This record gives sequence, structure tokens and C-alpha cells, in this order.
Amino acid sequence: MSRSEGRAYTLDPVTFEVLKNAYVNTVDQMAEQILRTCHSFVIYARDFSSALCDLQGDTIMQGTQDIAVHVGTLHYTAKAVLDAFEGDINPGDVFAINDPYLGGTHFNDVRIIRPIFVGDEVIAYAQSNGHWADVGGSVPGSFDVNAKEHFAEGLRIPPVRLWDGGKYLDDVVRMISSNSRAPSDIEGDLHAQAEATRIAEQEILRLVEKYGKDTITTGFTEVQDYVERLTRQRIAELPDGTWETEDYIDYDPAIGEGLVPIRVKMTIEGDQVMYDLSGSHPAVGTFLNAGFGSAFSGIVAGTKTFFPDVPLNSGFYRAIKVDLGPEGTVVNATWPTAVTGFCSGPYEKIMNSIFELWSNVMPERAIACSFNLEYLLVGGRDTRRPESPYFMWYDWMVGGWGGRNGRDGSNATAPIFGVGLAVQPLEGQERLSPVITTEHTIRADSGGPGEFRGGCGVEKGAILTEAEQTVMSYCCDRARSIAWGIEGGLPSLPHGVWLTRKDGDPDFLGAVFSNVDVAEGDRFTRPSAGGGGFGDPLDRDPNSVLEDVADEYVSIERALIDYGVVVELVDGDLAEYTLDLDGTERERARIRAARVGWLEEDAESVAERYRAGTLDVLDLVRHYGVILDWGSGDLLPKTTKTFREMLVRRAVPHW
Amino acid sequence: MVFSARLSVDNSASMEERLVGTLRVAVDVGGTFTDICVMDESDGTVRVAKVPSTPDPIDGVIEGVGHAGVDFKDVALFSHGTTVATNALITRKLPRSAMVTTRGFRDVIEIGRGTKDDLWDAYKDVAPPYIRRRDRLEVSERVDYSGNVLKELDEGDVRRAAAILRKREVEAIAVCFVNSYANPDHEIRAKEILEEELPGLAISASSQILPEIFEHERFSTTVANAVLSPLVSGYVERLGARLTAEGYGGDALLLHSGGGVMTPKLASKYAVRLAASGIAAGAIAARHVAVTCGFENAIGLDMGGTSTDISLVWQGRERVTRDWFVEYGYPIRFPSIEVLTIGAGGGSLAWTDPAGALRNGPQSAGADPGPACYGRGNTEPTNTDANVVLGRLGEELIGGAMSLDRRLAEEAVERLGERVDLERVEAARAILRVANANMADAVRLISIRRGYDPRDFALVVFGGAGALHGAALAEELAIPTVIVPPNPGITSALGCLLVDIRHDFAIMHLADAGTANAQAVEEEFQRLDIEARERLESEGVPPEQITLERLIDMRYVGQWRSLSVSVDNPLDLEAAVDLFHNEHEREYNYRRDDAGVEIYQLNVRAIGIAPKPEFKRHAISGDEPVPEAMRSVHFDEADEAVQTPVYERGELPAGATIVGPAIIDQLDATTVVPPGWSAEVDEWLNLRMSKTEVAR
Repeated sequence: MSRSEGRAYTLDPVTFEVLKNAYVNTVDQMAEQILRTCHSFVIYARDFSSALCDLQGDTIMQGTQDIAVHVGTLHYTAKAVLDAFEGDINPGDVFAINDPYLGGTHFNDVRIIRPIFVGDEVIAYAQSNGHWADVGGSVPGSFDVNAKEHFAEGLRIPPVRLWDGGKYLDDVVRMISSNSRAPSDIEGDLHAQAEATRIAEQEILRLVEKYGKDTITTGFTEVQDYVERLTRQRIAELPDGTWETEDYIDYDPAIGEGLVPIRVKMTIEGDQVMYDLSGSHPAVGTFLNAGFGSAFSGIVAGTKTFFPDVPLNSGFYRAIKVDLGPEGTVVNATWPTAVTGFCSGPYEKIMNSIFELWSNVMPERAIACSFNLEYLLVGGRDTRRPESPYFMWYDWMVGGWGGRNGRDGSNATAPIFGVGLAVQPLEGQERLSPVITTEHTIRADSGGPGEFRGGCGVEKGAILTEAEQTVMSYCCDRARSIAWGIEGGLPSLPHGVWLTRKDGDPDFLGAVFSNVDVAEGDRFTRPSAGGGGFGDPLDRDPNSVLEDVADEYVSIERALIDYGVVVELVDGDLAEYTLDLDGTERERARIRAARVGWLEEDAESVAERYRAGTLDVLDLVRHYGVILDWGSGDLLPKTTKTFREMLVRRAVPHW
Repeated sequence: MVFSARLSVDNSASMEERLVGTLRVAVDVGGTFTDICVMDESDGTVRVAKVPSTPDPIDGVIEGVGHAGVDFKDVALFSHGTTVATNALITRKLPRSAMVTTRGFRDVIEIGRGTKDDLWDAYKDVAPPYIRRRDRLEVSERVDYSGNVLKELDEGDVRRAAAILRKREVEAIAVCFVNSYANPDHEIRAKEILEEELPGLAISASSQILPEIFEHERFSTTVANAVLSPLVSGYVERLGARLTAEGYGGDALLLHSGGGVMTPKLASKYAVRLAASGIAAGAIAARHVAVTCGFENAIGLDMGGTSTDISLVWQGRERVTRDWFVEYGYPIRFPSIEVLTIGAGGGSLAWTDPAGALRNGPQSAGADPGPACYGRGNTEPTNTDANVVLGRLGEELIGGAMSLDRRLAEEAVERLGERVDLERVEAARAILRVANANMADAVRLISIRRGYDPRDFALVVFGGAGALHGAALAEELAIPTVIVPPNPGITSALGCLLVDIRHDFAIMHLADAGTANAQAVEEEFQRLDIEARERLESEGVPPEQITLERLIDMRYVGQWRSLSVSVDNPLDLEAAVDLFHNEHEREYNYRRDDAGVEIYQLNVRAIGIAPKPEFKRHAISGDEPVPEAMRSVHFDEADEAVQTPVYERGELPAGATIVGPAIIDQLDATTVVPPGWSAEVDEWLNLRMSKTEVAR
């Protein structure tokens, strides 16, 4: 196809290519700067993004290493600043904004925006977005699970000026930093981000000097057109059609048990892809809600996964049409609904749903559901030191990704919400907090069974040592809406924290809770789920199961139960096992004949067998589709009904 | 007196009687070629050779040295850069190895930091760890962050692990315990037991390999060291034996990633230090060439067939990093010369994407089938093809040993041109402009981005394709001087020739720089100094040749990355903090004088300085260079083709000046001198190019 078709380009192909790469280079230079100078450990774990925006606020280019969860939101915050300060944006100004109701993500994600002037004419805006460690609110880290309104969540920053014509506005910055538990770190991050935008300014001015202002601004438009064209061409090559699916948040405490649906309908029509989320549930009574910016981000990030090589800018967004449905839902929450937990709530449900829909369209890139983002926060007084300073053990884990077409899911990987989100070294954590990690290990049998199994999740256990006035909070989901398989693959395992008090028994706290008191000697542990399986586990190559057993990704017991593969130990010292192929054939035939019936067994009697210890949690989730309160063993009938319907839809037709 | 006598395998008196030769020989073994650079210390003359690399790289080494006309009996010093370790890691041709670790933590190296290299492609995975999960065994023990023992080492567990590993016939073991940087006792005891139970096995303990905080980085470095050590010790033993058999009387010195050399004994122990040996050589060569020419600041550009290595020299030193890896997810925390490798080379393919943009690389036609003009079946245009179409590259390579088919190059470029509405010559220019812009972006990332202004630098270009692109790139980056060393194709080997013995020592030392006890810091430094001296002396370096450099890694309180600054001996902490503020400002554009500064780590760089004889200077001749031929060449600076003189590099005497446009051909490279540029041959026979209109 020739360049001259369709929308006209005015730049010659060489200048265009050079400028496109220079814009990418510019935003990536911003990222380098942030990484090396930031103060927030969350930013350091790569929770940040950088963008160059045009005069309308549209994104000209976004960083290649940016966290997924910010994608598709930076143009909204740029536009919000442009609206607020229209006619009053001057050289030397720098602005800040974190407002999720204006298209931001959550309050911790603070965006610093600098206009780039050539003489007295603004030509672009550089934006640096980073997750600050604390922006106030009722709990450290500004993640209050039980918040219903934003006032408990943290400081809302509407578009404000931080530098006025080059003058640093101490008063404004003090106003912001005084609302944080870590004022000095916040100011450090603010400077790091402001300097990153200055790097972008320098680069753009260098390009202006070399190529002339008009060429550069024409380039701004044409790289967006280019990405739009590229995306539309790819979409046009795909079959038209409509696909629908739904995924769930565990429950809405305001209502009681019962999975909370997020519905995604995708239509491909010609060179356009449309998403309709209008059937989604009303906002929930926790902070697991998404504003329009983050819901849009989930859609963009989900789609982009199927176009990994297409650069990210507003051209990509133009090829995507979105209907979030009415305001007030879990995917379109408005002020003052709490939204900070969007990342554990609707965000990845949207992404995984979109993965599933695209798996129909591009089977060569198909992928089942991946584990859910999770954060455990333990905060209090560290009595190892005489002054008992405040400590915050703020921990997130890797988990398993969904099984794929022809390949197992990847083990122990950062959440799909942000693949760059790096786990923290426990040796660093142990210096900073009186929490000792007792194990950090891949959890056997956590990968959802499938012809290509889900990647394995991990288990992390810890003990609280010398501490006082300490509480624990957990921001996760999928204790009930467990990571699912596709094409006949099976689910993984439930999320949730188990707490064992000093001299007590393990207690299941669930996947969302806040401010649970903990004391010296208390132990807690939690798994991260694996990915869902891809394809029928009874079709998995027995040799792959054998290798998994040798490496203890799968136990010898569950090789039999989940895969119908009979593995026998030959020599433990050599990690040597053998297959009983005849036994395997018989076992697989037995499972095949019985398994649809298991999903129809009386749920209460299945729960009873769980309580009696004859069935375990994996049996319930994978074979009976029965969901309980995993601590008490009480049946959750509505949840079970929906979960079984889900299995009948995603697995049974492929068996 | 020659350095090698003191570096010989045997330091006994008889060695002094040995008649030592006058030749220094450096061999750089790459994937395709083995390059040899020989310098005669008696007169400073240099000769070079290039032979194909062999399945057993040592064959190529011996053959290549013979090819250079060298008798090993005349060799005073043999130094060596090798990709043996790098290739073993990439191809996973590794011995069966095991890990013994704290119970509950065998997956530290598999979990890593959990991140992926490719953020968006769900089908691109991080490579699996170097040691399989089944071969990672756990033992009971635990110490806390301050080194207190929480759980005693269960020695029975260690012996049971040894019994299992004996049955599994593993060849190497990494011993990696949590918090061992704070208290190494358990690790060291476990290592002793394993050595006792499994004599002769290569065992690496993390607290001895890299005693610093952060389990994944320390374990990963230690595991890489363990899996490489049987391989590297086998290699250096075989190499040593072959060299001895050929008549060489000293130790083979091995180039490590940090840019120094080490003896075979230490290479076996710190095998992972060789993991970027091959890449380091080019950067050192660039520094050497630049410094010889009087430039303290330089950018090295080693452009080959499929990729380009870019390095930076600042104030006479290579930039060094500790954030690097051979495969993503498996960090190696030893200092390594910082080299940015990008997928742009002579064989890089030009292509158009579905939206009509003209792209260049990173896909490459490689050496086979190679560029279209090689006539081996590739019909897509490469940078080499564009250079042929423009006449910048002739139709013969390697002195006629290989011919290029101009017609095939033209056809390939024409086909691409049709897709972007450009006729052949314009399409060829466009291909190269995109390639040069991509390289310039990469140079910017490691220079401007870090506060270095390329206008203060010289550009040293080498590799097969560097000299073709050097002037255009310098133009793009406003670099005033381009240096083409005498033998661009074997310049990397030169990097192995004149290197010092070097080791790096570090210790964690977390303290507030404002309130730190300077005396305590000084004492820590002195401990490192002692360790450093002992290491160098064990390698036979005489005390008068030892130099110790001190560096402190510092950061603003609350920051996550630290910045390394050189400090004096004895330590002046206040001056060090001032320097930190200055460096932070240069590197990151801002400083926070009112913010607290934290000391993170103390480093000592131990250098055994090898005396370096001067290269031969050639007498400046007044002879006018005479072109061998004329050919029609398209430059960016002129619309039409220009009749351009072609010179033979070997015929150009020192002092010769060539005014562009001109082409200078030699066996392994072609230099383009565009209109408006001139080239001068200096007394070391480097070509120095600069813009004619710019005052020097």
C-alpha cells in the first residue's frame, strides 16, 4: 500500500521517520531520568509514564516502557490542564493534576505538565506521571479499601500551577506536601518529574532548531495519523463481527455475596473497533471502582497487547470507539465515589475480558486469564529502634499469566496491569521494616490446568517481629472470581490472606480488607494465583506433566486429579519419575465421563465434603465449580451459580 | 623490565633467567572472526591479522597468531578478549549445575524482579533461569538483616544436599543464602562442607562473589559465576597448555567486562567477570585511540554487519555500569564497561511498514545471505546496498576477495523506492539517513541524556561499516572530529593489547553523609585497600605498580539509585558531598543542596598498571597523495553525483591531507570523506576527519 493513499502526509518519508523516532527517544529519555532520580519506591518499581502532548492535549507519543495502567489517560489530564488554564499558560509554567474524575487514574498518580514554548508560542506539552508513595487519606499509602468516597482516599489535586513563569510556588507545593505522610519524598518526586519534562523541552527545542518549528508541529500531527492508519489497516484485515464476554469482581459488600459483572462487548466493523461496557454493574461499596480514564486505559491496554509493535499515541485511541454506558457504574464511577482500587477491581477484569475477545479474533495470540494485581500493606511502629519510627511494609507479588495457544503461561510474572512493576527485594524490606519473610516461593499446582497450563503463582509468608500499633490491609480481588481458563482450560486458585496469630490457628481474611490489628509474632501468608489454563487438561502431553512434576510446578497428586496423568516416583534424589501410560488412559477416560456431572452436583453437599476434608479448595474450584467462604467453609450459593455458568461457558464446550 | 616476567605462572627465580621476547600479542575472539594485534615493544610497530573463528576458539587463536607471523617464543605478553562466557550463557551450553539456598527461597532466581523485557508482547517470555528448579536444593538456616542468626545452619541438610548432588553429577554449585551479605558465616560453612563432600567441584558462595544487599541480584550474579566457572577454568587451562606448548612462557591475561585483565587463576574463580569480555575490548580501543590523539572525551562507534556498539569515554575513562545482563532478568552486578548495542549494521534491512513509514533494522540480512549485492538470495535492500548504489562503497571488498553486485543492489533499492515514491538514488539516501538518525538517537541516549554534549567529543569509528557512516553521523550530532584508526576491522583487538590488571571491590555502607563518622568510613576504605593490594600481589603485580582508586556511591535521602563519585585518599567527606551535588546536576539536570545525602556503598578499584610502550610514530611526509582511481559518488551534500578520487589507505603517508569529496579504501573498511570535510593522516596513521569550514 502506498503512502499517498488516504490521508496526505506532507513530511517526506525520511524526515517523518527521523522525527517519529526522535519523539519516542524524547519520552524514553524522560523515563530514564525519572528512574534514576525518583524517591517513591513505587515509581522506582516502574509505576510511572511519560508523554508528549499536542496543543489539544492529545498524545503525540507515550514512553515505550510505561506502565500499562497509565496508557490512554495522559491526554485526558493534559486536556484538563489546558481547559483550566486556557489563555493563561506562559513560558516557565509547570502544572500538576491527579484528579481521577478528570480522567486521571487514582490520587497517587500525580502528573506534572510543562508547556514547551518556541518564543512566546506554545507548541506542545511534556507530561510526567508517577505514583507517589502517599497522598494522605485515612490509611498510609492512600489505599483505603473501605473508602466509599474520595475524601478518605487522599488529596485531590485539580489542575494547579507549581511554577509560575519560572518561579517555584512554595506555598502551593507546601499545601500539597503537607497532606502527605512523606512530604520530603513527595517534593523529591515532584522535582524529578519536573526535570523529566524539562528534558523533553530541551529535546523538542533541539529538533525545532534543526528542522524548524513548522516541521516539528506537522510531525506531531502526522505521527498520530500514522499510528491511526497503521492500527486501522491491521483492524481492517480482520473479520468483522461482535464478541461478548463478562468477568467479575468478587462481591459488593453493600449488597452481599454474588459476583459483580463487568460486561464487555467488542465489535469490529471495517477499520474500527468498538467496545461497549454498558451492561456493567453499579459502583460497589468498596474502592474497587474505575473512573472513565482508567476504564478507557484498561480497554486501550487490553487492545494494545494484540498490537505490541504499534507505537502508543492518540492515533491509536482514534481507532477505538468506547461506550462505557451510564455514569455511576463500576466502570464509569463519578465524584465522589472511591476509585483508588480500580487497579485491583475493574481494570484487569476489563483487560482480561479483552484478551479473551481478541483470542477469538487472533487465535495465534490467544491467552487465558492472568492473576490479579495485589498489594499487602503492614504499617505501624518499628520498635527495633529506640525512637519507634513509623514503618510501611508495602508489598506486591508476581503471579502466573494465562495459558496460551501452544505455550504454557509464564510463571511468576508482574501483573498485566504493569509488566514493569518490579517486586521488591526482601533483604531491602527487612532492613526497613520489622517483617521477616519466611518463604517466597513458586506455589505448586497454582497454574490453571490446561493443555497449556497457566503460569504458576507464588506464595509469600512473613512474620511480624518487633512492632507496635500495627495494622494490615489488603487490596486484591479474585478470592471468588478466580482466574479462569479458556478453550476448556481450568481455573487457578483463590486469592486471600491467611493470618495465624501467635499461638492461634490460621484465619482466612479474604482478598479485600483493611486495618486488621496485628502484633509481634503473628504470621501471615498469601498466594498469588496462577494463570487460567488453555485447552483441555486431559489433552496435555503426559511428558509435559512429567517434567512439571520433576520441577514441582505440579504435584504428583494433582497430576492425577487435574490431568489424569499417572506419574510414579523412581528416585527422588535424582528427581526421576516415570509415566504409567495405560493408567493415564484409563484415568483420563474416567474423568472425561464424569466431569460434566461434577458441575451439576448439589453444591451444599460438595461444601460439606470440603468441610469434612475429603475435597480441597482446588477440587472445588476446578472440578465442581463451587465457591465458599474459604475460612468458614460456608457455601456462597449465588456466587457458585454464576461461577458454574462461567465454567459451562468457557470450559465445557471444549471438552 | 617487562611486566610479563612478574605475571608468569611460576614466579621462581628461574623465570628471571628466561629470555623474554619483545612482542605483545592481543587476540580478540568474536563470533565470526578472530582478530590479532601484535605490537613490537622494541620499535612500537604494530601488525594485525584476521582469521575465521574456529569451533574450538583456541585453534583460531593459535592459527591467527601464526598468521600474524609471530613465534610464541618471542611473545612477552599475551592478552585475550573472548566471547566464550557470553556465548555459553546465550546458547545455554552450560554444565549441569545446582544451587544450595535458604529454605523457602529456591525460587529467588526464577521470580527475580518479575518484570518482562517486552512490556506488550504476551508471547515474548523471559528466558528460564540458568539452573533448573529441581536442581535448587534448600537447607535450614536464616540470618536477619543485621547478621544475627535466627536459625542455625543445619549441617545435616547440607550433607544430604551434597549426597544428592553427587548422584546427579553436577559440575558446579552456587551457595546463596538470604542476608549473607550481612553475615557470611553460614554460607562459608556450607561451602566448606560441600567442598569436603564433593572435592574438586566449582563452588561459588554469594557472599564471596558479590557481598552486597538484594538477594536476586546477588544470587543471579553468583549463579552465573557458578555455571560459567567449570567452563572458564577448562578454557583457560587448555589455552594455557596450548600457549605453553607453543613456547609462550607467561600467563594468558584475560580481558574482563570491567575493562581490565586478570590472570587465569582469578578468571576461574570469578568466571562471570568474563561475561562481557568481547564487548569491552572495542570500548577500550576507542578510548585508547582517542586519548592517543589527544581527546579526553570520545564516543566509540563499532559498526559491524548486524549491530553497532556505542561506548562513551569521559575524561580519559570508559563509562562503567553495574546494571547489565547477558539475558534479560539475570543481572550481573560486577562493573562492566557500558556499551549500548543497537540493531543497526551494514546488513540491516530497510523496509516499509503497512502505514507507509520507511524503517531501518533491527532485522538484518546478517552475513548469510547478507546484503542483496552479495547475490546470495536476499533481495531486500540493506545499508550496504544503499552505500553501493550511491557509489560510496565500491564493487570489491577485502581487496578483491569478494565482489559486490551493483545491479542487485540497485534493483533492491529501486523496489523499496517505489513503495515510498522515491527514485533509486533518493531512496538509497533515504535509507542511510534513517539508519544514521537511528544511530544518532542511540548516541544521544548515552551522551546528551547524561549531560554530555557531543560537541565536546571526538567520534572514533571502526568495525567494518563505521568509517562509511562516521562523517554523516558526526554531522548529525555536531561532533567536530571523526577518527578512523589504522585498521578499523581489528580495532577491538587493539583494546586487549594495552590494558591494566584491574579488580573491583565494594562494601555496603549505609550512612547519612552529613553525620557520618568520616574516620569509620576511612577505616572501611583502608580494609578494602588491604584486600585489593593482596589480590593484586597474588597476581604478581609489584607494589610500585599498584594504584587504588576510591569511589563512593551516594544518593539523596529517599532516592533509589545512587551515583558514584571519585574521592580522595585519605577521604575528605565534605568534598565528596560537594562533588556529589555537582555530578547529580551534570547527570540529571538538578541538585538539591538542602536535601540530605546518603552514603550507600564504598568502592575500591585496584589497578596493576602495566607500563605501556609508545606506538611507533611515523615521520610526517610532504608527499602529495595520489588517487588510485576516480568514481562517481552521491553525497548528501550535493544533488548530483560527483566524480570522486579514490585513495588506497595503505599508500597514504603520515601528514597527508585529503580534501573531500574522497573515498579512502582499505582491506577491511571504506572511509567516506564528504564534500566540505577533509581528512588528515596523523603520525600514528589514524585518519582524522573534520569539517573544512570549522576552525580547529
